[in-house]
Amino acid sequence: MTESLPLAEAKSLVARARAGDFAALERLYRTYERPVYTLARRLTRSAEDAEDVLQETFLEVCRSLRQWRGDGSLWGWIRTIAASKALMRYRREKLREWEPLDDDVGRAGDDVPLRMDLEAALQRLPERSRTVVWLHDVEGYTHEEIAELMGMTTSFSKSQLARAHDRLRRWLGAGVEG
Amino acid sequence: MSEMRHATSEELLALRDGEGSAWTREHVAACAACAARLEDLEQMRSRLRALPTFAPPRDRWPVVEQAARGERRRRRLSAGIGTLAAAAVLVLGFVVLRHSKTPEDAAVRQAMAESAAMEQVFRALQPDQRALTGRTAGVVADLEDRLAQVDAALNDPAALRADPERVADLWKQRAGLLSALVDVHETRATYAGL
Repeated sequence: MTESLPLAEAKSLVARARAGDFAALERLYRTYERPVYTLARRLTRSAEDAEDVLQETFLEVCRSLRQWRGDGSLWGWIRTIAASKALMRYRREKLREWEPLDDDVGRAGDDVPLRMDLEAALQRLPERSRTVVWLHDVEGYTHEEIAELMGMTTSFSKSQLARAHDRLRRWLGAGVEG
Repeated sequence: MSEMRHATSEELLALRDGEGSAWTREHVAACAACAARLEDLEQMRSRLRALPTFAPPRDRWPVVEQAARGERRRRRLSAGIGTLAAAAVLVLGFVVLRHSKTPEDAAVRQAMAESAAMEQVFRALQPDQRALTGRTAGVVADLEDRLAQVDAALNDPAALRADPERVADLWKQRAGLLSALVDVHETRATYAGL
């Protein structure tokens, strides 16, 4: 995901939104609703959870507009809020308590190459692994940033990424199809 | 002769991300299997990035807008409460000067005390931290609009000088509206936990 609004336009919209211009706020919402929702879908368990994250993210954006100083990517700032909101739900639901620490989900056929497509394989990953692989490989977060966001260690983030890739490889077959 | 150790996925991922060790780099240069696995990992990252985005199934903007407007109104209300507290002192001084030891003076004092007590209760509820359903948000918005009108009237000393008897009534209205807001927040709202 990349910044879809030029910085000058982002600054102008944020300034108007801070002054109470709801048309500017709506423009920001329309620009980023899809990337925020996509990120939320990847980090949460259901479409409903992702919708809630979308709503919570933009409410937080409305509240905190003054905190964006305009010296960095607006999308990067909004994305961090969205990831935090998604992970807050994750923590709230205490998934970590029941997800096995060795990440061995033990589902039937786990070791059998299933030749499933990437979308299905990604969805099949445990939530924690999917979050790490998405934040690292797609959104470009470092392991240090992921560790901070998820409240885990850097080495744990690295091992989660490796496990996720091992699983994806197994489920998709030995070679990655183009 | 011992068998050659292959690089682990974690080592190959580090190499892919530009952080691999010298050993991994040298090993991959000499091991076709690990070189192929490294290529797989690079391709997997590209494929993940190429996955389509999702469109939200419903338009959430109306809900976000309503909630944002409600929060903005409540922030203004909280700020207004501070301003009004200062204004109240002036109004009370004016009323006391003009109507000292009159029944009207006592009525104003009592209405102001009720309003102040209700303000405390309202603030303690932390209305900014509560999530409202659409219908409740509408009720709250209506009460806040009426409260804003009362505040505006109380912040108009010239009008009050022309009609001093109205002061106690406005403060009573204010206490009543705050009481209604407290009721709504206590019974219909839940903490958003944001």
